[in-house]
Amino acid sequence: MKEELEKLFGEALGNLKVAGEESQVTQVRTEFLGRKGKITALLRGLANVSPEQRPIVGRLANEIKLSLEEKIRESLASIQARKMKERLFHEKLDITLPGRRVPTGRKHPISEVCDEVIEIFLGLGFQISEGPEVESDYYNFEALNIPKDHPARDMHDTFYISDEVLLRTHTSPVQIRLMEKQEPPIQIIAPGKVFRCDSDVSHTPMFHQVEGLMVGDNITFGDLKGILTIFLHEMFGAKTKVRFRPSFFPFTEPSAEVDIACVMCQGNGCRVCSSSGWMEILGAGMVDPEVFRIVGYNPNEVVGFAFGLGIERIAMLKYGISDIRLFFENDMRFLGQF
Amino acid sequence: MRASLNWLKEFVDIDLTPVELADVLTMAGLEVESVIKIEEDLSHVVVGKVLSIKSHPNADKLSLCQVSIGDGTFPVVCGARNMKVGDKVPLALEGALLPNSMKIRKAGIRGELSEGMMCSEEELGIGEDSSGIMILEDDLVLGMDIVSALNLEDHIFDLNITPNRPDCLSIAGLAREVAAVTGKVLKIPSIEVREEDGRIHDLTSVDVRDPELCPRYSARLISDVAVGTSPFWIRRRLESVGVRPICNVVDVTNYVLMAFGQPLHAFDFDLLSEKRIVVKRAKDGDTFATLDRLERTLQGDALMICDGEKPVAIGGIMGGLNSEVSETTSNVLIESAYFDPSNIRKTSKKLGLQTEASYRFERGVDPEGVINALNITTQMIADLCDGKVAQGIIDQCPSPFLPKEITLSIRRINKILGTSLEKERVRRYLKAIELDNKNLDRDKLIVRVPPLRVDLNREIDLIEEVARLNGYDNIPTTTPLARVTSGRRSSAWVAEDKVKYVLISLGYYEVVNYSFISPKLITSLGVDANHPFHKFIRIKNPLSEEQSIMRTTLIPGLLRTMKTNVYNKNSDLKLFEIGTVFFPNKEDKLPIEKRMLSALVTGLRYVEAWNFSGDEIDYYDIKGSLENLFRALNIRGCNFSCAGDIPYLHPGKSSTIMIGDTQIGFLGEVHSEVLENHDLSKTAHIFEIDFDLLVKHAFSKKKINLLSKYPPIYRDMALIVKEDVQSRDIYDAIIGCNNSLVKEIQVFDVYEGEPIASGEKSLAYRIKYQSFKRTLTDQEVNKAHKKLVSKVLEDMGARIRL
Ligand SMILES: [Zn+2]
Repeated sequence: MKEELEKLFGEALGNLKVAGEESQVTQVRTEFLGRKGKITALLRGLANVSPEQRPIVGRLANEIKLSLEEKIRESLASIQARKMKERLFHEKLDITLPGRRVPTGRKHPISEVCDEVIEIFLGLGFQISEGPEVESDYYNFEALNIPKDHPARDMHDTFYISDEVLLRTHTSPVQIRLMEKQEPPIQIIAPGKVFRCDSDVSHTPMFHQVEGLMVGDNITFGDLKGILTIFLHEMFGAKTKVRFRPSFFPFTEPSAEVDIACVMCQGNGCRVCSSSGWMEILGAGMVDPEVFRIVGYNPNEVVGFAFGLGIERIAMLKYGISDIRLFFENDMRFLGQF
Repeated sequence: MRASLNWLKEFVDIDLTPVELADVLTMAGLEVESVIKIEEDLSHVVVGKVLSIKSHPNADKLSLCQVSIGDGTFPVVCGARNMKVGDKVPLALEGALLPNSMKIRKAGIRGELSEGMMCSEEELGIGEDSSGIMILEDDLVLGMDIVSALNLEDHIFDLNITPNRPDCLSIAGLAREVAAVTGKVLKIPSIEVREEDGRIHDLTSVDVRDPELCPRYSARLISDVAVGTSPFWIRRRLESVGVRPICNVVDVTNYVLMAFGQPLHAFDFDLLSEKRIVVKRAKDGDTFATLDRLERTLQGDALMICDGEKPVAIGGIMGGLNSEVSETTSNVLIESAYFDPSNIRKTSKKLGLQTEASYRFERGVDPEGVINALNITTQMIADLCDGKVAQGIIDQCPSPFLPKEITLSIRRINKILGTSLEKERVRRYLKAIELDNKNLDRDKLIVRVPPLRVDLNREIDLIEEVARLNGYDNIPTTTPLARVTSGRRSSAWVAEDKVKYVLISLGYYEVVNYSFISPKLITSLGVDANHPFHKFIRIKNPLSEEQSIMRTTLIPGLLRTMKTNVYNKNSDLKLFEIGTVFFPNKEDKLPIEKRMLSALVTGLRYVEAWNFSGDEIDYYDIKGSLENLFRALNIRGCNFSCAGDIPYLHPGKSSTIMIGDTQIGFLGEVHSEVLENHDLSKTAHIFEIDFDLLVKHAFSKKKINLLSKYPPIYRDMALIVKEDVQSRDIYDAIIGCNNSLVKEIQVFDVYEGEPIASGEKSLAYRIKYQSFKRTLTDQEVNKAHKKLVSKVLEDMGARIRL
């Protein structure tokens, strides 16, 4: 009987080896292990085996049955794996076809740069403040120490609505409006649109500025240099060279023009920087005591600084754009590149 | 302002290169915008002297000259006749290439050898005179190359002088700054006027009737002048700083103006009625012909320089034709004055006439420099025009100009600058800019400021000077003492960011248009004159009619942007803009400013691709965008109702946007007539929303519902209704059933056409039933649904689609 068992086992394994389909494997199971299967049938004769031999044969039969079951499972698994592989192989995509792109829009480059500027100053503890785009002569000029019939008015080509009302030429009136309402300390930036009647490759009649104002009782020109240097390093890279040079604004004193090393030539001098190696990037200064007096602060007690920068100018430098008018043509071929 | 380096060097020693000097000036606050090198390529042209002139044996019009250059003599055949023996002339020798491309070589001219050419200014390319050979100054060294002999090589600095520094609007003024920052000595010449016969007080008088507008008026008289062309060096100097030479008398006044910053005027004395000057205000409406040959109408506050009868100049701005110096002039009266700056500016603005003189007077000239400038001018004219100066000077200056005294605290300097400068150093800086000072106490100085420095009136002005002379670069860079603040955005900014974020992720591009538009664009929207869009504000001085009114809506800008892009073959567009619109304000002189959010979509929803069909964008796309936006801003209770009466929108495809009872905007398809007005053929959809109202309703508190543990059951219903029934009505009818198990209602099909009869349409709904308390049975849902359907059928006059 032992020999017969092993012979059947060998036969079953032989059948399994040639089975290529799942049905052929199950066929082997039915043929050998099923209720009417060959091994099952053989074991029915176990009763005829001598009592000494019976446990031995019984154990062997069990081992063979388990082993065969195992082989059948393995065989089934390998057939399934092979078939899965074949199926997946045929399901292959052309992965180089373009994806289902749902197009997204873009922020306008001016907003993009403006946000970047704002982000830096928020990080330095500044708050955002705003004011009207159409301003009175008082807020745009007089309260900023630019009286009527003062030559400093030549620095602004102004659009007028009436003798007293105009399109603001800078964001500085926001300083006045805020200081009139609020006591120091003040630490704000004011982004917004400004207007000058001027139009060519480097001027548009409307552009964007960010104004900054910091007022307290212990603020120095050195602090102004510090804050603006941090800003310019954040904006143009930590290695950017920055210089401050004397200038004039009626509402600040001392006043400064701030330059960075030309981003085109790294300071070696080129056409863009008219060979100076420097580019004007913002105007700044210590708030003029007269401005403090006008808003009702005590000029002997408070000090502060203010600054203003042009967003388009920064965007032009950052992206190497030479014609400012492109920003307001809103041509998708331009906007799509940001 | 333009400045010549050669000229500057007359007033101060400069051992810096031009580039270094430009940097020093810029860092001292006198921004140099450019430095241009003036070069003349005139090699082989030297100073020569005419030794003899003989007529050419073979040509009547030519002469044969011997010209010496010191160590050699050359025969020169010449066509000009203006030179005489002994004259020094520019001689071009063999090898010279003149700017007019003429090459000089030895040649026989009508049988006589000519080894060079005597040149005119024009032939040398250094002047306009082509009438004859240029006659040089007698003191030039023979054989010297002409470029160094005439000092032709120069550097021209273009400076941007800020309005507070009129004292730097002259060569001497700049030299004073150069001296201050480089530590050199300033050399201002003082002059002695050689007076001859006649006393000025016997010959003329000056009557200043308005000393407020004319605090100082001085004059001198020169007789027997020969008016003609100025010498080369004066013309060269004037041209180098951009002034056109006119005649010797006028050129000298301009020369002194440029050199010292004091505007001067020369009158033809014989053309002055009663031979006297009266300074008084104009009469309103007077007309006056200025030197530029224009008839000007004056206003009452213009200050006029008059003679015994009539105006002869607009004070400080421009002289009159009626007293102009001309070739026939022989006696001149020179005016040197100080006028009230703001009045000059007012008049100059009103007349639209800015001159070199008015530019300086309105900023403030040095009232103490008036006399020196007058004397220099007088003597120069006397020398160059062979004139005789009358004895004496008229100087009407009723109240003297005194130096200002300002107290300066060293502590204050250091507090504002963040420096630790010592008093001695501060005093050194003040001395460098010629400000006398003395100690008041341990901390303070008393500083005397001459009237020349109109910008220095207060302590802070002196602090700026200290900062400037110390160098901004030498002020320590610090950061403000830390205060615990956190920068935060206002809710409007947060909302704006969110709106942009949502629209951008939906495919919209942000655009920025000008705040001013053409009034035609409002008309193009087809709105009548009473529409709020027509209540716009005009700009008094627009650049053009196209940009002459403040926008009252963002729509025209978006249509314009659409047009730009359609012309550039980009016709699939999704655009939005957040910007201000302006309306007149009854309560205030400043207009009402409203922030609007507008969008425009046109073209294909997606560009047609292998996996996208090319469907046109429609009403529901832009409406969907808004619904997405409201969801993102957590705005509840928004509603779209029929608009009907918006002239620029399709009446059947437009709606107003409501939040609760507040209308915040509209959306819809652009009316085809509006598109036609803009030369656009493709349809477009737009919305415009009051951004501030939107923000007001944004970010209402979110209420989070519990999640039901029990499964939902869905039931469908397909209805046939009349075609004018709106989806909203059916939705309201379902809600009206008040069944608390109804949790969601979704329209999943809308159909018109066969087999549905015309005039009717089919709408199919899927309704979600769910309870928070238990699992619903099919039976009870069926019952509820049946009840709901029959109620809806009854309410809507609908029937079930089978
Ligand atoms: Zn450069």
